[in-house]
Amino acid sequence: MTVKELTLCEAIREAYREEMRRDERVFLLGTSIQAPTFPHTKGLAEEFGEDRVLDTPIAEPAMTGCAMGAAQEGLRPIVDYMYAGFAYCAASEAFLQVGQYHFIHGSQHPLPMVMVGTCGVGRRVANEHSTLPYGTLIHHPGIKVCMPSTAYDAKGLMKAAIRDDNPVFFLWHTSMMMHKSAVPDEEYLVPLGSADIKRAGTDLTILASGFQVGNALKVAEKLSSTLSIEVIDPRSFEPFDRDTLLKSLEKTNRLVIVDEDFERGGFAAEVSAQVMEHGYDLLDAPVKRVCHPHFPVPGGYIDAYTMPTPERIEAAVRAVMGS
Amino acid sequence: MNATTTTLTNAQRIELFRTLVRAMALDRLMMHLIRTGRLVGFYHEGGVALAPGVAAGFFLTREDILLPHYRAHGLAHMLSKRVDVKLYIAEHLGRSGGCCQGRSSFHASFPADHVFGSSGNIGSNFPLSVGYGFAAKRKGLGQSVMNCSGDGSYGSGRSHEAMLMCANWKLPVVFWCEANGMAQHSSMKQLFPGPNISALAGGFGIPAHIVDGQDLFACAEVAQLALAHVRAGRGPIFVECRTLRAQEHSVGGLNNEGITPRDPALMRCWREQRDPERLAGARLLEAGVLKESELSELHTAADREAEALAAACEALPKALPSIDELQSGVYS
Repeated sequence: MTVKELTLCEAIREAYREEMRRDERVFLLGTSIQAPTFPHTKGLAEEFGEDRVLDTPIAEPAMTGCAMGAAQEGLRPIVDYMYAGFAYCAASEAFLQVGQYHFIHGSQHPLPMVMVGTCGVGRRVANEHSTLPYGTLIHHPGIKVCMPSTAYDAKGLMKAAIRDDNPVFFLWHTSMMMHKSAVPDEEYLVPLGSADIKRAGTDLTILASGFQVGNALKVAEKLSSTLSIEVIDPRSFEPFDRDTLLKSLEKTNRLVIVDEDFERGGFAAEVSAQVMEHGYDLLDAPVKRVCHPHFPVPGGYIDAYTMPTPERIEAAVRAVMGS
Repeated sequence: MNATTTTLTNAQRIELFRTLVRAMALDRLMMHLIRTGRLVGFYHEGGVALAPGVAAGFFLTREDILLPHYRAHGLAHMLSKRVDVKLYIAEHLGRSGGCCQGRSSFHASFPADHVFGSSGNIGSNFPLSVGYGFAAKRKGLGQSVMNCSGDGSYGSGRSHEAMLMCANWKLPVVFWCEANGMAQHSSMKQLFPGPNISALAGGFGIPAHIVDGQDLFACAEVAQLALAHVRAGRGPIFVECRTLRAQEHSVGGLNNEGITPRDPALMRCWREQRDPERLAGARLLEAGVLKESELSELHTAADREAEALAAACEALPKALPSIDELQSGVYS
């Protein structure tokens, strides 16, 4: 098997290229994707043409509805918001229509479309360029939601998202843009709804996604002489691979959830409740969350320590271990 | 448009008229169903504002994409596009076999007829029309998009986004505005600073026409012209059909000019003197296209059709699916 090192954005681009070559119906639209802000669409307009890699006005509702309409008429659009927080301008489309049109209209006609946006705290750019919408998205039925923590997962998840007949919101973390990892030349998909054990362990499980997988791995490594920590990346928030988490808890009996989104009503809260409902007997200690506090994501020098850091994760691990 | 230069054949005029008669009979049926507590959810009466809808749907092929206006919940538009509305009435009655499996109460969805759905949110049609237009252009099969909504919907910024994108990409989209001068319980006089909503189109370089929305045949002629424009690849076009709302927004609601109720006498006068069915019928009689007896036969047939549809739909079982069935309908 031939393997090469790709950045996360290059991996997304490879997924686009392969799927656009494979399927004429796939096209991209978004704000400044021809001469792109971020490298994942670089060179695509040159290869596929400006009528298949479309720059739109800065008009998120119309971009989103355009993708919906095109999907209903048999195309497979990928709509890129640049920052995922900008999709909130299309809140009705994003939360009440994209995922719900199919069901409300009698499950007659699916919407094969991918929504793409970058997100993440720690870039010093404050709330609207940072917000991570997965907690809000999974609250609304009908949209699958994923976020990779490696280039390998980015390519495989994106290819799976493009081939899915349902809408998928593909999030990627801005701080991982240049993150490199090995990607094979051979074709592969990462199925939506399959978590990945990024490090095996027996004493405590950390569930973390995107950029926070790296922080969790740092803590696991640092404490490895005294504690065996398992790190699980859910990779998709919807569908959520609860089985892999519960299997891990059968071994470790302890859980820390790292979630860069706000603590209140978020993904970490949802997972905590699911673990309580389906795995209460597996727990030897209460679940602990490490999230962004419940104030807006600040900019400047501040957000570097309001987001989950290795120090905060370590403190949570120690609290759960009672050490 | 001048009626003496009509491009419509007599057969088309009779069929347009028959469709309007049927639409208005079904509109009365829906009002009867909601007033007798049998219809679940909303109903937004069409009343004397259904001629533009009949015109909008009439020249569409099955492959052309229709976004119906919510007034009469698109009955006129869909009848005219030759969609079988039985399943739509069943949907309004919450019946199993309704066009949305009884899940929507008032949404239309006939994907095979390229009527994909409707939204409860005024202005949601606009973004979708961009996607339909883009797909139509990309596929190159000659499809057009008939994007119907009211003047109130142009308060949504999405209308501006859609006009911008459709104009920029020269998409085959007709912005078909059934302007009744009202947005819910507010008069457009309060909400819009100019006399013509179609003036908005000029800002995007989209040509616009204004037509008397009570004149069925004039609306149909403009619909023909508008579709010819988009089918020729000349980009979007805007049609403002000036029509009337002679009743409240939805059953039991208000009908105000500012904080003052609209004059009931004026609305009665509109219903009597500006009824598009009576106006069109009189024209057909006058021109000798229809005889009095034929006209009354059309009315009788439409009333019978409405009664039969109601009976057939009410005979269907109520849609009460299991939670598991519903859960499995979220994804395809």
